[in-house]
Amino acid sequence: MAKNDLQGTLDLLVLKTLSQLGSLHGYGIVLHIQRASDELLSVEEGSLYPALHRMEQNGWIGSEWALTETNRKAKYYKLTAAGRKQLQEAEKNFEHLVKGVRAILRYA
Amino acid sequence: MEPIRILLSRCSALFRRRNLDEDLDAELSSHIEFAVEENMKRGMSAQQARTRALREFGGVTQTKEAYRVQQGLPFLEAVLIDVRYGLRQLRKSPAFAATAILTLALGIGGMTAVFSVVEAVLLRPLPFKDSGQLLSLHEWVREDPHEFNVTAPDVLIFQRESKAFTGEGGYVGAGYDVTGAGAPFHAAAERVTASLFPVLGVDPLLGRTFTQKEDENTAPVTVISYSLWRERFQSDPGVLGKTIDLDRRPYTIIGVMPRNFEFPLDAGRLSRRDLWVPMSFTPVEKNSEGSNYDYGLVARLRPGVSTAQAQIDVNRVIAGIQPRYTAVAGLHLQGYFRTLKEETVHSARPFLNILLGAVSLIMLIACVNIANLLLVRAASRRREFGVRLALGAARRIVLRQLLTESLLLSAIGGTIGAALAVVLVHAAAVHLPDSLPRLGEIAIRWPLFAAASGFAGVTGVLCGVAPALASMRTDVLDSLRDGSHAAGQGRSQYNLQSVLVILETALALLLLVASGLLLRSFAKMLETDPGFQPQHVLTASLSLPRHDYPTQQKVDEFYAELQRRVETLPGVRTVSFSSNIPIVGQNGGRLITPEGHVRSVGEGFLIASTYLVQGNYFQTLHIPLIRGRYLDDRDVQAGAPMVAIISQSFAETYFHGKDPIGLRMKVGDRFDGPMPAITVVGVVGDVKQGALDQPTVAQMYEPISQAAAALGPMAAMLGVAGNMDVVIRTADDPSRLLPSLEKIVHQLDPLLVVSRAHTMDEIVAATESSRRFNTAILTAFAAIALVLSLLGIYGVLAYAVAQRTREIAIRMALGASRKVVLLRTLRYALTVAVMGVVGGLIASIGLTHFLKSLLYGVKPLDSATIAGAVLVLLCCSALAALIPAQRAASIDPMRALRAE
Repeated sequence: MAKNDLQGTLDLLVLKTLSQLGSLHGYGIVLHIQRASDELLSVEEGSLYPALHRMEQNGWIGSEWALTETNRKAKYYKLTAAGRKQLQEAEKNFEHLVKGVRAILRYA
Repeated sequence: MEPIRILLSRCSALFRRRNLDEDLDAELSSHIEFAVEENMKRGMSAQQARTRALREFGGVTQTKEAYRVQQGLPFLEAVLIDVRYGLRQLRKSPAFAATAILTLALGIGGMTAVFSVVEAVLLRPLPFKDSGQLLSLHEWVREDPHEFNVTAPDVLIFQRESKAFTGEGGYVGAGYDVTGAGAPFHAAAERVTASLFPVLGVDPLLGRTFTQKEDENTAPVTVISYSLWRERFQSDPGVLGKTIDLDRRPYTIIGVMPRNFEFPLDAGRLSRRDLWVPMSFTPVEKNSEGSNYDYGLVARLRPGVSTAQAQIDVNRVIAGIQPRYTAVAGLHLQGYFRTLKEETVHSARPFLNILLGAVSLIMLIACVNIANLLLVRAASRRREFGVRLALGAARRIVLRQLLTESLLLSAIGGTIGAALAVVLVHAAAVHLPDSLPRLGEIAIRWPLFAAASGFAGVTGVLCGVAPALASMRTDVLDSLRDGSHAAGQGRSQYNLQSVLVILETALALLLLVASGLLLRSFAKMLETDPGFQPQHVLTASLSLPRHDYPTQQKVDEFYAELQRRVETLPGVRTVSFSSNIPIVGQNGGRLITPEGHVRSVGEGFLIASTYLVQGNYFQTLHIPLIRGRYLDDRDVQAGAPMVAIISQSFAETYFHGKDPIGLRMKVGDRFDGPMPAITVVGVVGDVKQGALDQPTVAQMYEPISQAAAALGPMAAMLGVAGNMDVVIRTADDPSRLLPSLEKIVHQLDPLLVVSRAHTMDEIVAATESSRRFNTAILTAFAAIALVLSLLGIYGVLAYAVAQRTREIAIRMALGASRKVVLLRTLRYALTVAVMGVVGGLIASIGLTHFLKSLLYGVKPLDSATIAGAVLVLLCCSALAALIPAQRAASIDPMRALRAE
């Protein structure tokens, strides 16, 4: 069975966001996920930052401090090569999960 | 790969903690600023925007915590926190911490040090190849209790005849004046057979050892020690082939022994040999059967041969020697052996075993004390744990914290203990008495340190955690509720503590009795009259080489001239020479047969230590004359009748109380032998020939001028008496005379070495040092034990008083007087102490006989000593109890009850 716990889902959302938008800070990630999902998904800051740092430890994303357009200092995250691979893996796992869950729901 | 990288990153995170925290803070606050900005864009006021942003963000602290948990190593961090917390707890109760740590350090340090010494001296195999196979052979005569080594002819016979051994090496001590290697000095040497080094299985560091041919042909070759090589030849690798002069004869150096090589393994630091020469028995030695048993014989047991078989073989060889004892009719020669190791260490064993026993007791007391302290502490913190559990702390976490605290104590105590052990072991190597062998091998043994620390650590953990665990099992509310209910819980613990204190007190009494016995022995030794007055006396040894002083006449002329010149020095009272001096004298004696004495079957030999003297020997040492006269000028004249002076115990033992003046005796085992008869002209007091606590032996004095004649046919073997001790009585400090003495000796003979120069006071003090050391160390142990057990009594009482403040206050409020409270507390202390004393007395009666070999003039169950020890213990217990008792008596009932 593939790795498809909820943590994996948050990872997937973050990785996908970064792959689409390039470099982004934590607040931007929260905002993007909220907007892109039409307010259906909201990311808890309490889990986002630990997840970001864990992924950074795993080498999936890199970070650096930079200035925003409003001249504020923020920490920007960016996908690494390992992260790109991980994203593919996570997307595949998620498809499996969705297929599996759907099959269960349709079963009657 | 991945997990390792994560682990590394986490570990490094542990040390970058501060940086990472700041980083996270900055990141989170930037996030909140973004949100505030966004909210303000939507038209909120700054205040509203911030409140909203913070609310939406949720718990900043929780986020940080979650971040931390995955960032670092949570377990390790928790341990670090526990350690920091534990240290704070210990700092909060410094008296407890200091006592516990000191107790542990003393126990662990003392234990490690003593075990290290015992291991080095008693347990470690000797530094020879397969040293367990090495045996030391001895001979003895069934008719006499003395134990001998073997004779020179028997060394050769064993080498030739025995079958149970792969090799036998003979050795005998010798001394040489060494010249041609720096300043002349007197070297301690050993004559050894060519087979000795191969039997020991030791190879030289440089060169080779002796060949059989060199041994047989009296080749002038020598093997030198590592220290001689280093000090006199600056570790010159080209030393082989160089010559040094031994007693003014050139010897070629053919080998250097390794650094740690020592043989024979005699007791003491000064026993190390400087060099070895071939045995090369003289013709006289080869024919000296039955007369000189000074030769050591070490043999290597053949593999597969049992000691019983070896004994049969030795008996067979001895049976072959027996017929040669025809000259000494009626004597039965016996042979036996023991391992070389046993031979080396057996005299050191009693003292070291006692040391080991004493330090084990200290360790036990230390552990009991730690147990006690931790029990008290755990009990006094019951409420704290109750509060923490009530507030939701997990039991696991509270336990982990307690465990950390216990281990922390053990760790600090262990570290100090290790430092203490290092210091003690170094001190031991320098200060241990010279009566012990293998002192050079003493080094700290870390496995023993680990064992001692482990023992203490386990005690700490058991006693720290077990009571806490027990109290946590009970209802949390129970521990929070104070007063009557808690008192019931405390009672069983109180009893446990009482038992521990009784145990401690008993052990302390045992050590007190032991140290008391040794102190009394030491005092007795100091009171012992050496039989002469050691003050203001200088002694030194001279060894006239036989080649330059071949006749007794030459020797006598030298000493007569030396006496004449020294007597002219200012401050010199009297000058004399003797072949033997008290306290450090040689115990080897001569067989004596008084006229008319017929040795009955099975009777031992009559042996007297001989002093060949010249000059005013008795006046110099102030040895009192009891009957007859001293030796004087008329005995020195040519053709004077042969005379001797005997000591009092000699007169009593050998002449059975008869007035010995004018009676005759002969050297040898029969009066009808070929030896000349000697007439007794005087009786003097006994002098102590060995240390003051050694038994007195019979002594006889002869004028040196008659020595050659008195020896008769044996003179050729023993040679002329060229080795003498100079004994000078001075008006003031005798050590100031030494330079003048050396100057005069060198005027007479520039190559002569003045060795072993000491004042007689120094010599006496040196022989006291061994007993002084034993006594001091056991007394120190007893003092430590006493202090520890007093701490135990104090701790239990202080705890009890603190726990019962309420109870005592109620009693006082109901009319109990301060005196009653005081006495009740003291009564408890004395009850415990008396029970401990009873236990200690039983232990003393059972165990003090192990001290017997260390006692002098005191019986193991000396009632005065035991009474003194009991008195000291009881008084000290009462003192230790007084402080908490007074605290109990000074409780203000109103305040105490209000505080509850």
